[in-house]
Amino acid sequence: MSSETESKLSELFAHLPQPDSEVTERALARALAALPTPARRSDRSARALAFLLAAAVALLAAAAGALAAVGALHVSFGQAKHQSQRSQTATQAQLTVPAGAHGIAATVSGRLWLTTGNGLRLQGLPVSAAALSPHALYVAVGIGHSLVAMAPDGRRAWSYPTPGRVASIAWAPDGLRIAYVVNVNGRFRLYAIEGNGRGNKLVDAAVRSTRPAWRADSLALAYIAAGGHPIVYDFGHASHTVISSPAARDATFLAFASRGGDLAVATPERVVLWRPAGRVTSTAVGRAAIAGLGWIGDDLAVAVNQTAPRPAQISLVQVFRVGHSGALTQIGQVAPLARIEALDTWGDRLTVAVAARIGARVLSAATVAGVTTALLRSQPLLQLPVGSRISSIAAR
Amino acid sequence: MGERSDRDLVRRARRGDRDAAAALFRRYWQSAWRTAFAVTGRRAVADDVAADAFERAFAALDRFDERRPFAPWLQRIVANRALDLLRAERRLSGDELAEPVDAGTDHRAGDKGLLAAVGELSLERRVVVLLRYGVGMTPKEIAAALDLPVGTVNSRLARSLEQLREYFEAQGVERD
Repeated sequence: MSSETESKLSELFAHLPQPDSEVTERALARALAALPTPARRSDRSARALAFLLAAAVALLAAAAGALAAVGALHVSFGQAKHQSQRSQTATQAQLTVPAGAHGIAATVSGRLWLTTGNGLRLQGLPVSAAALSPHALYVAVGIGHSLVAMAPDGRRAWSYPTPGRVASIAWAPDGLRIAYVVNVNGRFRLYAIEGNGRGNKLVDAAVRSTRPAWRADSLALAYIAAGGHPIVYDFGHASHTVISSPAARDATFLAFASRGGDLAVATPERVVLWRPAGRVTSTAVGRAAIAGLGWIGDDLAVAVNQTAPRPAQISLVQVFRVGHSGALTQIGQVAPLARIEALDTWGDRLTVAVAARIGARVLSAATVAGVTTALLRSQPLLQLPVGSRISSIAAR
Repeated sequence: MGERSDRDLVRRARRGDRDAAAALFRRYWQSAWRTAFAVTGRRAVADDVAADAFERAFAALDRFDERRPFAPWLQRIVANRALDLLRAERRLSGDELAEPVDAGTDHRAGDKGLLAAVGELSLERRVVVLLRYGVGMTPKEIAAALDLPVGTVNSRLARSLEQLREYFEAQGVERD
């Protein structure tokens, strides 16, 4: 009987599918990019070339030394190693704009990386926080004790002094207001300022540092109070609505839906959906920590990093569909196979920042509308040194 | 010109020879992908697991002991990555989200029943069955890929076949 079962199994699986050629070529490119940097070339011509280069370097070093001795040239031999590291990661040495976006900005280890679709770049500017305006026409950044709006070419539009370092920034979808959180001696205050740098207003003097979330109509703002409860501030009525549901206590991330007034609230292990009528539904994500959330069209994307049994061995972006009652039903998930450090969505697209084992990488997904259970089709946008920390990412 | 050995290709790839690395990739991509598919049962997951495994393998070539065979080492990375992913999915979502096996073709009613029966096997047993009868690995190769003793692989195979045989018997009784 067993041999009969075996033959049935062999017959059943005789026609396992084959990988697509497109997938194959993409995997090959990924694999080749991961090859170790060649330590040496073995062919004779390369050795000859190396010998000539060494001789040239020796001559240049002697000449540079002579110039340095008279103070005419700054000589740094430490650059050689740096150059080698750069060539290893040359494929994504500059931040790439993902398909369909006007621009992208990432804050990595306290420095800003920004690229726009028309080729403008800012790289390495020390900032405490950053946010792109709609269509990536401007970027708002925290520099020292100021909120600064600048064009992607680095030209400053305006600067507004703040009572401390800016911890997070969110630019309204209509571009007319900027919300920002300032660290004042360890306590955080939320302000809103008009997009032209005027009309600064204190919204709340006791908040958490989490980036505020704008409602799609730009007329309301959600933020997390110092006590951990989300609050919705309505600019039209100058009113605060506290979401006091115990399920939303200890909120960590917020995201308004692409349409209407539904607000998604992440707590350490739950996703909560709050509706303007006050109805709250919540869904557990299991033994995982939520690393970010955002809306892809009408669906909610939640980035989670597994916390048990070993931290961050597996990370997933779970995609939920919102029912009429507000109940969340998981319809799919994408797995970048590396720890997710930040997540951003725009329109029907998803940008996920991950730190992979091989190195830290910012990855972008292709359109994920209609996602079922599918893997993240990742487009590497920027290769970063191992150990770098991605604190924010945003594409517009 | 004869086909280069794995060891030669690995040695060249280590020195940055992209042609050698590409040859190594093309030699084992399909089997790596089929292993990933056999374990996960989903094309999209197999695409990324296999690609991720190659990426990790190539990044670790410097540390690979070239006296050892390349293929089992690669298959072990693939299988472990795929299993990690499935286990994490189960922990995160409470169960497996996708159909565990989809051989990708239209099946007769009996085949669908068999597929369902394979899907009822525990993950550990199912993986062994799929690697044996889907990918065509020998028990020794499966043992190397999953880092298990050959005896454990044989035992899981035997118990799986027993479970499937019981399924067929039950089906036969029902039909009668």
